[in-house]
Amino acid sequence: MTSVNCNGQEPLLAIENVGKNFGGINAIMSLNFCLQVGGTVSLIGPNGAGKTTLINVVTGVYAPDRGTVHFFGEQISGKPAHIVASKGIGRTFQLGEFFDSLTVLGNAMVGCHTQGRSGLIPCGLRLRSAKREEENVRETALENLRLVGLEKRAIESISQLPLGERKLVGIARALGMKPRLLLLDEPAGGLAHHEVEKLVYVIRTLVNRGITILLVEHNMPFVMAVSERIIVLDRGLKIAEGPPTEIRCNPDVVRAYLGEEY
Amino acid sequence: MRPRKGNLSFLVLIAAIAMLPVLTSNSYVISIMCFVAIYGTLALGMGVLLEHAGIFSLAHPTWFGLGAYFAGIVAIRGIAPAWAGILIGAVCVGLIAYLIGAPLLRLKGYYLTCASFAVLLIFEITFAQFSSITGGHEGLMGIPRLTIGTIVFRKDIHYYYLSWGLCLACFCFLYNLMNSRIGRAIESLHDSEVASSCMGINVARFRLLTFILTAVMASLAGSVFCFYIRFTMPTIYGFALLLEVLTMIVIGGGKKLYGPLVGAFIMIWLRELLHGLMRRILPVMTSEVDAIFFGIAVIVILIFAPHGLSGSLAAFVNKYRRSA
Repeated sequence: MTSVNCNGQEPLLAIENVGKNFGGINAIMSLNFCLQVGGTVSLIGPNGAGKTTLINVVTGVYAPDRGTVHFFGEQISGKPAHIVASKGIGRTFQLGEFFDSLTVLGNAMVGCHTQGRSGLIPCGLRLRSAKREEENVRETALENLRLVGLEKRAIESISQLPLGERKLVGIARALGMKPRLLLLDEPAGGLAHHEVEKLVYVIRTLVNRGITILLVEHNMPFVMAVSERIIVLDRGLKIAEGPPTEIRCNPDVVRAYLGEEY
Repeated sequence: MRPRKGNLSFLVLIAAIAMLPVLTSNSYVISIMCFVAIYGTLALGMGVLLEHAGIFSLAHPTWFGLGAYFAGIVAIRGIAPAWAGILIGAVCVGLIAYLIGAPLLRLKGYYLTCASFAVLLIFEITFAQFSSITGGHEGLMGIPRLTIGTIVFRKDIHYYYLSWGLCLACFCFLYNLMNSRIGRAIESLHDSEVASSCMGINVARFRLLTFILTAVMASLAGSVFCFYIRFTMPTIYGFALLLEVLTMIVIGGGKKLYGPLVGAFIMIWLRELLHGLMRRILPVMTSEVDAIFFGIAVIVILIFAPHGLSGSLAAFVNKYRRSA
């Protein structure tokens, strides 16, 4: 069990005294916070604040040097990424990390990997069980693409899509895992205004479906539009936490990140 | 996911392969086509390993050689029926590939390439040094004809159907596999292992699975090869074979599953045609001049088809479809 206070409820995700160093650099220093089920929480801060490192620690890409991460009360810190993913934690990547040799649909179908069970022989011989599973996976992947408005581009190569649409494919791919917690790493970075509006709609739809979202983002109007709570990091430390209206006026946040003109 | 097109082309190809011995009784053509199938099977597996899974292992000819030696030794010593030697070879090679692959595949990039190349050299030396079992440098001679029940494989045509049966079975298996959850997981390894693992894919497990599966396919091809030529020696499975298979993958293009098969066909026939031509023009030093002209031909192919012939063919078909 976790000792992090989450308003007396069992947290969905609890980060306790988590620290991560790279050589002599402290990317994260003794970070504590928790997420409850539902809603969108944003993680903001200047470049190098440790936001992406934290996502990598939560998803098992990095093992923390100190502290623990609990998901629904189960310790997941230090576990391999594929085990963490199978618990129901999905993510997107800042730089995409797409499977360029596959189509848009193929990318979305890879996200459904944990939903399948067929082994080498059923798949290689295309047995009925594997065929049925394949059809179900295709349907799920198409549904996820439909949600982000890209089902018509399903058979195109992902490398032919503009950045904004590629990022939406990243979300559709992560949805294939049927995540309970979705970590979005700078989904609005490099997107045009109309694409950001579409992203806001997608995030609200996902929250309505009961998915909890932890968002890392620099686009402040977007963050303010979708977040119920904001956590601010600076040089690996949490400097503020609260609702958007409170964060906007916090002098430490203004000094470290937002600036006077915001 | 790759769109499922070309099923008709595949049926036409199967029909053409099945009809070839009916259309020509030329044993030279049949014999060369046997080698195309055997080397094609080897290149097919290595293409999946290199180009689809992104595992740059150079140990592949070793599995081919081990398959040949296991089948040959089982048949010569009468340990089991000759056909059973093929299966025994495949099982043993799968086990050896597991034992070697588990630690080897922890390495990445150049380190894996160097270590796997060491495996190739170690096995080549082992084949040569364990002369009491393998026949040493002179090789394993007197391998009996392959028999399955009452069927004795005496003629080229028997091996033609056996080798193409194996090749097409491996192709179909890999085709189905690459269009399934396992194939997508394998493809994803090539592009981003971090993203794969975050999608719930056990990267180490799928790397090892691909390594073992393609090793077993190489072993089956090696076993058929040894029964066909009824002889085997260590130098066959060394650096020269590695270069040939890599050239087949590069010429054919590894991104398409059928690319290495196209590469095997082009390379083997090109070499034969050049050899026939050079023998008439330059009766002395034919093989040396062969190699020069063969190298030039490969360079010319790669200038005009930098992604291999299958890549260029796919690009041409896409362009034609868009303009139509």
